[in-house]
Amino acid sequence: MKMIRYEIGIVDTRNVIKILLDDFGYDFRDYALTSFKRRLEHVINSNGLRDADGLVSRLQNNKDFIEQFLFEITPETTEMFRDPSFWRILRDEILPEITRGTTNKPRIWVASFDSGEELYSLAIILKEMNLLDNVQIYASVFTEKCINRIKSGRLDPKDLETNEANYQRLNGKSQYSMYYKMDGNTIVFDTELVKNVNFIKQKTTLESDPGAVKLALFRNQTIYFNQLLHEKVLQKLSSSLVAGGYLALGVKETLENTNAYNKFTVFNDNEKIYKRKTT
Amino acid sequence: MYKAVIIGGSAGSFQVITRILHSLSPNFPLPVLLCLHRLKHVRSGFVEALSIKSGIPIIEPFDKEQIKPGKAYLAPANYHMYIELGNKIALSTEEPVNHSRPSIDLSFVTAAQVYREKLIGIILSGANRDGAYGLKKIKDLGGLAIVQDPEECQVKTMTEASLKMTKVDFVYNTNDIIKFLQNIKS
Repeated sequence: MKMIRYEIGIVDTRNVIKILLDDFGYDFRDYALTSFKRRLEHVINSNGLRDADGLVSRLQNNKDFIEQFLFEITPETTEMFRDPSFWRILRDEILPEITRGTTNKPRIWVASFDSGEELYSLAIILKEMNLLDNVQIYASVFTEKCINRIKSGRLDPKDLETNEANYQRLNGKSQYSMYYKMDGNTIVFDTELVKNVNFIKQKTTLESDPGAVKLALFRNQTIYFNQLLHEKVLQKLSSSLVAGGYLALGVKETLENTNAYNKFTVFNDNEKIYKRKTT
Repeated sequence: MYKAVIIGGSAGSFQVITRILHSLSPNFPLPVLLCLHRLKHVRSGFVEALSIKSGIPIIEPFDKEQIKPGKAYLAPANYHMYIELGNKIALSTEEPVNHSRPSIDLSFVTAAQVYREKLIGIILSGANRDGAYGLKKIKDLGGLAIVQDPEECQVKTMTEASLKMTKVDFVYNTNDIIKFLQNIKS
């Protein structure tokens, strides 16, 4: 059972944020405070550090630790095919449309800092539609470690039962177990699924983007930002989408009350899928 | 003097929470934060079921939603619900805690940090230990801790775990909880 242990205070949190910016150039100032504090506590506990001072000295005395830090500070996606109803709409309505009659491969951007589950879920669906080679997928990541994890297929999706059940609810063409092998107790996904993915390394916000994107997945990411960063990132996503391109947020995130709202129409309100307007 | 009520419940708490919500008048002076264990893949239906008899509106909040008095905020399926400074809801998809997402501990701890001595925490019937630590946090930061009488609970595990961890202010049955809440003045 997971216990909550060390709790970091606001002053210490601000101090860590300052060091991350000053010493490493990573800007976490506009992350949502409560969840960011929890992430720091997670990093401190999982690395056997005693407190915020322990974390700061590890960051400053071991220059390689920043990679590990960035890897762990990002919440894991934790589930394959989270919200199966979302993936059904993607498969039945959106992917057929964006791949219809184009000569260039349509660009799909997994802009969320995904630990791999979102990417493999997408790839599995595309494969079942025989479209995996007809699109170009881009994925935003923080770290090499994350790229390696995804490329190795060892995602460690913890709850096999949930993932199986989610796949069932998709009414997929195949069986979930077709897409991975067991190596001891570890699940190893079929890495062929992601062999053509282009990874884009980013620093905390989406400073670089593929451009001309037809579908951007950004589910359950703005929940980790404050209002300011939220607006900034939505602006970025909106400018990278082509007219008629799709943006998917998490089911409890909304464009309403943001400046980006007038640039989109609602495509599916339950799943929070939006369509970029022409102008 | 209080600013919010937070209620955690799991197995066996649905009837109790329904009765509590039914008893509240539309001008109840505080927000009611609800963290109830629920099926993670069933997104709709729960808030509707709770709303049927509720005296106050029940909202399944979006991220960053402003918390207002006289409304109940139900933690959405498969998200943790945090209370953020500035009286806002913050949602999270971080890993489950106590095998639970939403986790009662996390809602309680974050609410305690925001409202401190102005928070009332209530633990109802449930089958695991989630919430026990959160209630302790509320008490430690000066808030008021109430536990449903285990004798009345369909499943005692959660209330007994809470009583073991914290010297609570009141052990109440459902009627007492209702009376207590009805007597809160703004």
